[in-house]
Amino acid sequence: MNDSDMQVDPITTVTAATFERMVLQADRPVAVEFMSYACAHCGAIEPALQHAAAVLATQERVFRVNIALDPDLARSFAIQGTPTIVLFRGGREAGRVEGPLPTQSSVLAALTDPFEA
Amino acid sequence: MTPILLYDGECGFCRRIAHWVQKAATPASGPPCLVVRAIGEDPAALYLLSPQLTIWEAYAAPHVLMPDGSIKRAGEAIAEVFRRLPSTQWFAGIFAVTIGGVQPFQIMLNGATTMLADIRPLFGCESCGEPSPWVKPLLWISHRLKSPASPAPAPHFTTVRPAPAPPA
Repeated sequence: MNDSDMQVDPITTVTAATFERMVLQADRPVAVEFMSYACAHCGAIEPALQHAAAVLATQERVFRVNIALDPDLARSFAIQGTPTIVLFRGGREAGRVEGPLPTQSSVLAALTDPFEA
Repeated sequence: MTPILLYDGECGFCRRIAHWVQKAATPASGPPCLVVRAIGEDPAALYLLSPQLTIWEAYAAPHVLMPDGSIKRAGEAIAEVFRRLPSTQWFAGIFAVTIGGVQPFQIMLNGATTMLADIRPLFGCESCGEPSPWVKPLLWISHRLKSPASPAPAPHFTTVRPAPAPPA
């Protein structure tokens, strides 16, 4: 499959193999959405999450972990359900938000508020 | 190529219906008249199957991928399943009946499909998302009847299902 044929996803998916390098060793704050495609709540917040990722692009990276494909990664961060957004700074968890409302303001707050606390 | 019915494999209600369709589509001998397949969690695998359909769209409603590359969605997909299954094709022609420029039976099937999708949380589909407003009171009553002591699940959150225990 040619990558250019597939719709470009503005939120990069990280896996157990890339998590350490892309999230824990990142040089700026990172938000990771633990999600699954079968979770309708995750689908509901997706447009707002993509919008927030674009708005915050210069300050913060936004990634996604598909817990159906990486259950061990979800377990290692004690993920109880989806969507859960975990914020990382300097390789350490700075906060998390479970089940944000599917609105732009709620998702934007989920991606920024824990860093401001 | 055989048409492919895509369904939400995380929804128990959908799995039961898909299981019935699979049985009905599989003759005693020979190939099935319809392939029944869970959507899965890999967007790239779904892209290979149908480049026009994103994985988010696939989970929003049942779809049938047709041999000519077209896609039937929701009520249209259900009508196509009825047309394909040997046990239901005798009545499936009714969905194509046009009266005064509209297809009343297809419209009724579309409504029934939407209603069934709405009430899936009542049958234990926690991954199905925020219930429609008219379903919420029913869901609350259902939850209270099943487990009166535990709090109702959070509205925008799908709890992770525990992994199955390894065989002894």
